[in-house]
Amino acid sequence: MPQPLSAKENSLFRQVIRNYEDKQYKRGLKAAEQILKKNPKHGDTMAMKALIINQQGNTDEAFALGKQALMADMKSHICWHVYGLLYRHQKNFEEAIKAYKSALKLEPDSLQIQRDLAFLQVQMRDYQGYIQSRTAMLQARSQIRQNWTALAVAHHLAGDLTQAETVLTKYEESLKVPPSKTDFENSEAVMYKNTIIAEQGDYQRALEHLESISKTNLDRLAVMELRAEYLTKLEKKEEAVKAYRALLDRNAEHPDYYNKLIEVMGIPAEDTAAKKAIYDEYSEKNPRSDAAKRLPLDFVTGDVFREAAKKYLTFMLDKGVPSTFANLKHLYVDSSKKETLESLAHEYYEAKKSDAGEAKADDPFKGEGAALYYLAQHYNFHLSRDLTKAMEFVNKGIEKAPENVEFQMTKARIIKHTGNTQKASEEMDKARNLDLKDRYINTKAAKYQLRNNETEKGLETVGLFTRNDSPAGPLNDLLDMQCIWFMTEDGEAQVRKGNVGLALKRFHTVYNIFDVWQEDQFDFHSFSLRKGQIRAYVDMVRWEDHVRDHPFYTRAALGAVKLYLDMHDGKTLTDGVNGEDKNGDAAERKKAAKKARKAEREAAEKAAKQDPNKPKAAVDETKKKDDDPDGLKLAATTEPLVEATKFLVHLLTYTPKNLEAQLAGFEVYMRREKYVLALGCLNAALALDASHPTVHEHTIRFLTAIRSKMASLPPKVQEVIKSEFTAIAPSTDLEEFNDEFLAKHKGSVPHAIAAIKMKELVDEDEDQASVEKQLASLLGAPGITFEDAQSILTILRGSRSKELDEFKKKAAEKWPEVTAFA
Amino acid sequence: MAEPQPPNLHEGATTGDVEDEVQAAKSAEDRKAAAAMASMGSNGADDANGSTAVDQEAASKAMQSLGGEAKKPEAAVQKKVKVDAADVTLLVDQLDLTKPKATELLKAHDGDAVKAMKASIAV
Repeated sequence: MPQPLSAKENSLFRQVIRNYEDKQYKRGLKAAEQILKKNPKHGDTMAMKALIINQQGNTDEAFALGKQALMADMKSHICWHVYGLLYRHQKNFEEAIKAYKSALKLEPDSLQIQRDLAFLQVQMRDYQGYIQSRTAMLQARSQIRQNWTALAVAHHLAGDLTQAETVLTKYEESLKVPPSKTDFENSEAVMYKNTIIAEQGDYQRALEHLESISKTNLDRLAVMELRAEYLTKLEKKEEAVKAYRALLDRNAEHPDYYNKLIEVMGIPAEDTAAKKAIYDEYSEKNPRSDAAKRLPLDFVTGDVFREAAKKYLTFMLDKGVPSTFANLKHLYVDSSKKETLESLAHEYYEAKKSDAGEAKADDPFKGEGAALYYLAQHYNFHLSRDLTKAMEFVNKGIEKAPENVEFQMTKARIIKHTGNTQKASEEMDKARNLDLKDRYINTKAAKYQLRNNETEKGLETVGLFTRNDSPAGPLNDLLDMQCIWFMTEDGEAQVRKGNVGLALKRFHTVYNIFDVWQEDQFDFHSFSLRKGQIRAYVDMVRWEDHVRDHPFYTRAALGAVKLYLDMHDGKTLTDGVNGEDKNGDAAERKKAAKKARKAEREAAEKAAKQDPNKPKAAVDETKKKDDDPDGLKLAATTEPLVEATKFLVHLLTYTPKNLEAQLAGFEVYMRREKYVLALGCLNAALALDASHPTVHEHTIRFLTAIRSKMASLPPKVQEVIKSEFTAIAPSTDLEEFNDEFLAKHKGSVPHAIAAIKMKELVDEDEDQASVEKQLASLLGAPGITFEDAQSILTILRGSRSKELDEFKKKAAEKWPEVTAFA
Repeated sequence: MAEPQPPNLHEGATTGDVEDEVQAAKSAEDRKAAAAMASMGSNGADDANGSTAVDQEAASKAMQSLGGEAKKPEAAVQKKVKVDAADVTLLVDQLDLTKPKATELLKAHDGDAVKAMKASIAV
């Protein structure tokens, strides 16, 4: 119950609210203080003051005041509402929901509180609560269509399709006049209802409903696609064929239509000739269609493939389409197709080379040039790699068209694959200089610089295409633009350079960006309903539920987990790039810090010179300043494993099928002595790839740990481990097991590394030094690649081995071009 | 006096100086203020112009019929499972769970901690 105020103060209070809404915080604050002078315990005013303070960026103080306000006036819904808003601002949605609920109890008729509560509930996926809120909102204003649709969505998301449909139907029945044909909201709502019927599995009824609305619905394509789908499900073959043909007539590039058409025509999968005939038919109708020409290559074989591929390749290379190889490389998993394509490309090239005379004046990238480009990519591709040949072709190409970005770029890529990141970065920068206005090549060049650990240069390069009006340089804009690739690559480069803080900073940035994506949906709970785009909204909500299965998240999280593990093991911090040039590193860092400080000062001066009344300055003021730009606080954590778990949990939840994730999970949980969870990760990894070298390591490490720790574990945990650890018998002689593994995978260097590493654990005769010696001696193993040598180098470096320098020297002799050994 | 605090909201609110709180009837002013206040922080008002095509009466009738149906019994009553506090603690520790989550997991497995752990790591 609000405390009464005098008339004058009441108007002041209204002014506070107005000021708040108009974002005139200073004025609002003044007015609020005026009221509080006379009524120091006026809860509502205190609450409003708290809200304003919060908006000014002073969250802690706001919270304290918000609490005081509640103490002063516990029965005021305003105080509770403000309290909820403060929590919401802090992203503590659960507490916010509680506060809103209290506010609502005090003021059950407030539409606003109800609405705020509803959005929080759907954001938190509390569907039952959302249904309740939506029902209440509908009761309050049943004449608005939105409220009906929203209730249906609530039921739909909660999984109650029947109820969702009923709600929509009930609304339709209550209409006196049918909505006009151009009513977009109606059109979408009706289609939404149709998809709900279909989701219930009642395709007959869905089809009937669809037919009844098909004439007037505005989303023609969706109607056609759904109709074809329903007809297929109902096995009305002839009609379905017609429906898909109609779709293909609209769009002959959609692979799905072809597949579905072939399916409903009843053509068996083996009958490639009949299948190809369909594609040919459309290829004839649409001579420019790429899909009709390309897709049959996926399933035809032998001579038919050869002929079709030849036609396709000739057509594409004649035209000089740069993406030709990218269009075909997925076929390379089939080795006969790979060989065919190789020989076809050679044939084409030879033919063009001999009659090159006439085409000289033409675009150098057509015909012969395109063939060179194709062949260079072919020999650079990991399934058909021959870097010497690749280099040969790309150099011919460059000779032919020295100004062409594509050739130069491919050259850089080829060099990258030799392990020479330094040269690759230089060559890519050359490519960039061929076309300074191209963002793509600019991005590539920056990425190659980062791969070569040139972090500052990389930032500079990418900064050529960012908005640089912020004092913090291009990084700020990259952050605003949520440029995840840069954050990840830079983070990984910082890891290689040994800058723990910055690396963590970048990985956390990626983590936070995903959080932002999660929060971004908040706006759509109201927006999508208002716009009536329900189908897209439901899609979005479902997408948000698994947004962290994105490869970008996986990569950054794995990087962070690995770094935290190293921190826990004490492998980082003291480790510069190579240990030896640590001093140089520190000096460099100092220099960089000095530079940054100078830049900041200059920026501040510049800002001061600007008109202080400019609104932009005010924005900058409120914008939170990053209090840890170098991630030093992150690096100073005393609980790296706890931090690692934060990243890990999402990995294991959303990408359980990722082997790397399970391996990382094992590492974290073993160190935390959570053996049940570690076993879970191990078992999952075994199911994914039992012969993976690291899985072998983990099996041995788990059994070893269990043998020494088992007795100290709670009996119930022992029971679980006994029954669930089935990879090898608990009594296995691990030395023997390890030797068997080594013998079984003879010739594979990664497996040998794993087995040798484990010797220290299972073989009494071996110690760290002897293991390291054996690892180092792998350098002479047949078939060792520089990547293998690099992982040995990492191991040796991690244990600060005496073998390190010697190994590096020898590796550098063996692979002089690889930058990592230089 | 004040109503009991809603559970787990925050500590310390129960001892406010509320003697001077006067329970007066809400004035029209306050209502207005409340309405204005309530519009804060929301994503813009969506006061759609109540579509004219809607028959108010029919709509509310439809509403009522819906309300009747909506009150279906909430999901099947969960069977009561006794959960040992020690088992909850064990699960919290071993599986890195929060207390409510651990309790839930235990309940789903008839209070058997071993079964619950096995299920949680099943591939």
